[in-house]
Amino acid sequence: MSYAFFPGCSMAGTAHDYQKSALAVSKALGLELPEIPGWICCGSTSAHQTDQLLALALPAKSLSAAAGQTVAVGCAACYHRLKAANWEIAQSAEVRQTVAAVVGRDYDGQTEVLHLLEIMARDIGLHKIAAAVKKPLTGLKLVTYYGCLLARPSDVNRFDDPENPTLMDQVLAAAGASVLAWPHKTECCGAGYSITDVAIVQRLTREILAMAKAAGADCIATACPLCQMNLDLRQADTERASGERFGLPVFYFTQLLGLAFGLSRKELGLKSLVVSPHKLLADHGIAI
Amino acid sequence: MTVTLSGPEIAGDFAAAVEQESHANLMACLQCKKCTSGCPVAALADLKPHEMVRKVQFGQRDVLSSKMLWQCTSCLTCATRCPQKVSVAALNDGLRRMSVAAQTPSKSAAPTFNRIFMKAVRKRGRMHEALLMAAFKLRTLRLFDDMGKLPMMLGKGKLPLWSAAAPGRRERERLFARAAQMKETKP
Repeated sequence: MSYAFFPGCSMAGTAHDYQKSALAVSKALGLELPEIPGWICCGSTSAHQTDQLLALALPAKSLSAAAGQTVAVGCAACYHRLKAANWEIAQSAEVRQTVAAVVGRDYDGQTEVLHLLEIMARDIGLHKIAAAVKKPLTGLKLVTYYGCLLARPSDVNRFDDPENPTLMDQVLAAAGASVLAWPHKTECCGAGYSITDVAIVQRLTREILAMAKAAGADCIATACPLCQMNLDLRQADTERASGERFGLPVFYFTQLLGLAFGLSRKELGLKSLVVSPHKLLADHGIAI
Repeated sequence: MTVTLSGPEIAGDFAAAVEQESHANLMACLQCKKCTSGCPVAALADLKPHEMVRKVQFGQRDVLSSKMLWQCTSCLTCATRCPQKVSVAALNDGLRRMSVAAQTPSKSAAPTFNRIFMKAVRKRGRMHEALLMAAFKLRTLRLFDDMGKLPMMLGKGKLPLWSAAAPGRRERERLFARAAQMKETKP
């Protein structure tokens, strides 16, 4: 099985551990992810806030380079921007024509885009994931955090239920984890303001971390570089600002899957996590 | 908060211009406040999402200087839940673009960040986060925010000092130039 991989800027940078673990887990599942040659930034929040046309043309340029293939994405923000471009281009001949004039090449909006969670849960299948498990995550109590842009807007993304997505729950339950119910799966972490307005980020992440703690979680599983960074890298600041103690490791779901598959800490980039997961993993006999 | 509506203009020129820029379907709003109920930043806002919509319907241009434009996190909860298929998120994007085009003063650093970000996309094709942070800090003189995290991020390999740019810079420059040209010739 092979999909054209769109890493996006974060997975090629701050979230290199997400990329590393995603590729290691994919390999273990027989999934090949060759990069789209010459892919460029999706434009993210900055593009749709400043220039509607570039917000469509940038994704269209990368997607047209993968025409006829299915594109795999790990970042929720890239995922949504690629899907939004497909949606706009496919439903309006006028938009398609304008975007083609800007990109310099016609693109029909038909290159299928899937998130790694969709590929693993649906295309590879839960039975295959369960069969690859060597060290089940038994006893590990976690909550799954999807953030905004995987599940929303549901008509454009067609990812899962927008209020209660369960793809990550299913994948991690297949790896033996205890996935807890909680109400903040799709609350916003304020990712777009991670650099420009940290006060908003702290306010929102505080709510998420406090709810995860109240739900009885030992850790949080994420599927987006920006969600992970806000909950992990800024957790100590959030604790200082609110006077609470969370101490919640924030994994990429691919790191947890990799641990269940018996991959090493190094292969999964666990060293890059800011809130140390080592005690938690040792307590559950999961670490290698 | 109470919104005071003044003037007789309903769905006039301003509302039409905003609708054309945002495609937010804003005249369909029933003021049910479902958007505001689910908005993660409504508690901070000078104008709540349903109030933004109402003010635009009534042609009140001061929405362009609302702090809400740069507090909205684009989480799309409002757009997903609206029973009338109004998108306050799209409305905010449209208002942001109009606000920047009209050079409306703003205390937010987000417009500056967006400019730096888009310039980096044009030049490098891919974002190099360390360079982006450095450029933003120099431009806004917020030199010390998050500086304490620098050694830790470097140590954890989270901030590679070098990263490859995407090939095809000249083609990208042309793409950006064509987009800018098209924006100018738009009716």
